[in-house]
Amino acid sequence: MAITESTSVRTSKPTSSFINNETVRSVFYQILTLACVLGLGWYLVSNTIENMSTRGMSAGFDFLDASAGFGISFTLIPYREGDSYFRVFQVGIANTLLVAAIGIVFATLIGLFVGLARMSSNWLIRTIARWYVEVLRNTPLLLQIIAWYFGVFTLLPRPRDSLGWGEMFFLNNRGFYFPAPVAGDGFGVTLAAFALALAGAAGLIWWARKRQEATGKHFPAISVGIAAVIALPLLVFLVSGRPLDWEIPALQGFNFRGGVNVPPSLAALILALSIYTSCFIAEIVRSGIQSVSHGQTEAARALGVKPSWTMRLIILPQALRVIIPPLISQYLNLTKNSSLAIAIGFPDLVSVWMNTSLNQSGRAIPIVAMTMAFYCIVSLTVSFAMNRYNQRILLKER
Amino acid sequence: MSDSTLVTTDEASKALVFKPKPPRPAPPSTVGVAGWMRANLFSSVPNTLLTILGAYLVYSFFSMLINWALINAVWEADNRRECLDLVGRSGACWPGVVEWLPNLIYGLYPKDQVWRINFGFLALIAWAVPLWLPGVRSKVAIGLSAVLIYPFLASYFFMGGEKGVIWTLLIALGVTGFVWVWLTTITEMRYGLPFTRVMAGILGASGKPEEAQRSYGRASMGALFLISLIVVTQWELPEVQTRFWGGLFLTLVISGIGITFSLPAGVLLALGRRSKMPLISLLSTTFIELFRSVPLITILFMFNTMLPLFLPVDVEVNQLLRAIVAVCLFAAAYMAEVIRGGLQAIPKGQYEAADAMGLGYWQSITLIIMPQALKIMIPTIVGNFIGLFKDTTLVSIIGLFDLLSMSRAVGEDSRWLGLFIEPFFFITLIYFLFCFLMSQYSINLERRLAAGARR
Repeated sequence: MAITESTSVRTSKPTSSFINNETVRSVFYQILTLACVLGLGWYLVSNTIENMSTRGMSAGFDFLDASAGFGISFTLIPYREGDSYFRVFQVGIANTLLVAAIGIVFATLIGLFVGLARMSSNWLIRTIARWYVEVLRNTPLLLQIIAWYFGVFTLLPRPRDSLGWGEMFFLNNRGFYFPAPVAGDGFGVTLAAFALALAGAAGLIWWARKRQEATGKHFPAISVGIAAVIALPLLVFLVSGRPLDWEIPALQGFNFRGGVNVPPSLAALILALSIYTSCFIAEIVRSGIQSVSHGQTEAARALGVKPSWTMRLIILPQALRVIIPPLISQYLNLTKNSSLAIAIGFPDLVSVWMNTSLNQSGRAIPIVAMTMAFYCIVSLTVSFAMNRYNQRILLKER
Repeated sequence: MSDSTLVTTDEASKALVFKPKPPRPAPPSTVGVAGWMRANLFSSVPNTLLTILGAYLVYSFFSMLINWALINAVWEADNRRECLDLVGRSGACWPGVVEWLPNLIYGLYPKDQVWRINFGFLALIAWAVPLWLPGVRSKVAIGLSAVLIYPFLASYFFMGGEKGVIWTLLIALGVTGFVWVWLTTITEMRYGLPFTRVMAGILGASGKPEEAQRSYGRASMGALFLISLIVVTQWELPEVQTRFWGGLFLTLVISGIGITFSLPAGVLLALGRRSKMPLISLLSTTFIELFRSVPLITILFMFNTMLPLFLPVDVEVNQLLRAIVAVCLFAAAYMAEVIRGGLQAIPKGQYEAADAMGLGYWQSITLIIMPQALKIMIPTIVGNFIGLFKDTTLVSIIGLFDLLSMSRAVGEDSRWLGLFIEPFFFITLIYFLFCFLMSQYSINLERRLAAGARR
């Protein structure tokens, strides 16, 4: 009865009352929400304008050209005290990216190592790795950063009594010193050879894959490629007369001169960030490899796949599918966590820009907006790339 | 023996006699301590080397730790110089930590008022105890009241001072809630009936219809509220401004509020993000992505500098409140993504079945979808809580005296100048204990809730 009625009436008008109509309700709720959000926005903006006018603050970006007039203790890109605020912003970004890049490399290496140790057949190694992860994961990162800085790096001996390894690496309360490479004339040729070898190797791998897909013939492109990338630049380097010098740090007066200096704050930051993140990476690696069932290994053996290939061709591609997305989000976390540098005075973006520059120029709104924009752009770019990757590696089912 | 005599007597059958080979030695034991050690520690030469290396690492780490923290440690001294004169850096200097212990736990809270903090937390524990008692049936109501009503009671314990009309009513609600929880617990354990029912019985309504019994129950709750209102109006505690709050107490307050707020807000945001209404979905997504893509410290800074700008000129927002707002919004955005993950894991059939049963949107969400989604996400949700608890240390950067900044203050005290490692070590233990217990509890909870799925 009801069925026949509704099918016949559907074209004319809904049987339910106007209030119960889903579309009407949805439109009503959305208008209500929009009104609330706009009302809140208007309230905040009008308050802000009023507050700013009473305090004589300005929201413009015109201060970016003005001279910042403060020094920065560590800069990756050249910076002088008289440079503009915009330059300070760039310095901050460069420093943040530096910390993130080094931290990611170390965190991945340590995390991979601990993750494999976590799966060791040796009970003792497994247990040590487990407690390493448990203890470091369950204590705040900020505490670890501050503990490394105040508890280790500032308590190191003075430069005069610094710890040294082979008269090349030195560790003291001014930081860590290691030899700096100084490129001589013609080193560019070596670099060019390196780039050429890299491109060649990529091309070789691409060609080998094409050929294997077409003919089934295998070519050890990866080993040949690695050999080429190492050998070609080395050869060019030797032929062109080793145009690279090492500038070795040496004690002069009260301090070391020459070489690369990693200040204590940077060293503490990188160490704490990479150790903390390595715990999460270790768990990701472990869960990824354990997610590939043992049947895959057995199947590979049954098909006669070489044991040395099983890991690379069967286990790893499947494990990476599980490992890579959370791994990338850990990299993002590390980048965001590098903002804790402010606690130990390392001049990263938040420290020089959102703290020093903001306090000095008083331009709260543009500065906060620019900082947030930087982190948003980094995060959204990475998550966009991540989504593309996820779609590519998604299990193709049905 | 008989064998040999047989062989010697009958030469012909010599070749046919069964002569067992000597038995092989028994395989190494695979059970017991020795077997376990062979399998897990010494299965091969490299493994044995690894075991020796590991044992060496463990031994050197613990011998260093025990030497420093216990054997060489100084337990009584007046200042750090004395410690250094006694043992140098080879032993811990605990007197500094002991002397600062009250500050590490309560911050700069006035010493004669510290009982209020203890009392406030004891009240929370007492509030939650019925959740673990057998025979208590109103566990959901008790749990909800602990989350929703307890904060009003605690706020007066911790803050004190002048209470306006509204706050007085809320505090009275808190007192009523506390009394109700325990009365209900007692009556349910004793008679198997909630407090309101028992009250109706005592008032002589046991034979009367359901509706009458309910109204008696309501009346008794109203009376309880009136009594607590009178008590609360008479109850006065001196004000302790939030700038004196600090230490572990402050850490627990911030993370407690953050955890309490983030779960419901995260649920709403996650539902909003998955909503079919484009505008709501867009707004939720924008909020979540914005707060998740920037570090917490920038949000704290933003609220610290901008919240006073956002509000009318005459409204004063204290620094603690700014930090709490920032932490809550940040935690809500992260929680929303966790819950969205849970929602996505629920098969479409569940939604369709709920629709087919004629349940409306909120009914199907609260009765069908959310219980399942929350259940499968418990480990991640607790992981988020742990993350939030650790992240509260960031408020020290914007100038609040949480546990971390209190421990840094020890080394800036003129008598304990430079004493950093010991207080850091101590608070590391505190943080670890809290986080580790939370994660172990979540594993336990997960196992209990998954009992139905086990074969």
